Amino acid sequence: MNDPIHTLVMEEITDPVELAKFRARREKFDGNWAWFEQHAPEIYRQHRGKCICVSGGELFVADTPEDVITLAKTAHPDDEGRFTRYIPVERVARIYAH
Amino acid sequence: MRINGAWHLCDDDRVRPVVTGEIAAADGNRQQVTFLLDIGADRTVLSADILRSSGLAFTASPDRLGGVGGTVDAVTVDTQIVFLREDGGTAVFKGRFAAFTDPKALDMSVLGRDITNLFAVIVDRPQDIVCMLGQRHRYVIQER
Repeated sequence: MNDPIHTLVMEEITDPVELAKFRARREKFDGNWAWFEQHAPEIYRQHRGKCICVSGGELFVADTPEDVITLAKTAHPDDEGRFTRYIPVERVARIYAH
Repeated sequence: MRINGAWHLCDDDRVRPVVTGEIAAADGNRQQVTFLLDIGADRTVLSADILRSSGLAFTASPDRLGGVGGTVDAVTVDTQIVFLREDGGTAVFKGRFAAFTDPKALDMSVLGRDITNLFAVIVDRPQDIVCMLGQRHRYVIQER
């Protein structure tokens, strides 16, 4: 039974044009993610406490999410496959559970 | 319906199950979001880097979110999360989601049971499988 916290509506994209755009974004993301995974240990080591963004197969680093997304969008305005992450200051085991 | 995820090496050298979707940002563009697939989490929560880089409007939440470290103030956002299905289609979840405003509160967005309860979730490290199954897809447990 679902918890009655709030209601979610589940749908699917049926417009072929929107679907094609979605897949194209995902392909770009997959490229950025592959680049990130290749460089992740080095990125984690060098940028603790920072916000990062990978876009166009390039790493951007800033102190805030707003700043890092601005850097990435300026360099690669058409890349909607970009993603951001915050690299924790401490390298510790985590229990999430929110 | 099958939505595939992956095992991802995190900053503490632990490998965790993740699944990637996208949300609609405030400027109409889309933002890619990698979620920790956390079957212990009651709710889906967006991390602060996603909330703030997407520019989404948020409202104060009457709910606080609790974890091992205690409770933390959260906000809520109205958005949609879109996942790619294995067959090339999509699964779109529209609704109200929790989010944090402080990046230090959560390093990775969490996919919680408000969404995962709709699926059978497989996080199988030995077989290197992360996926969510629903509708026509089922799984079978058998002895080898």
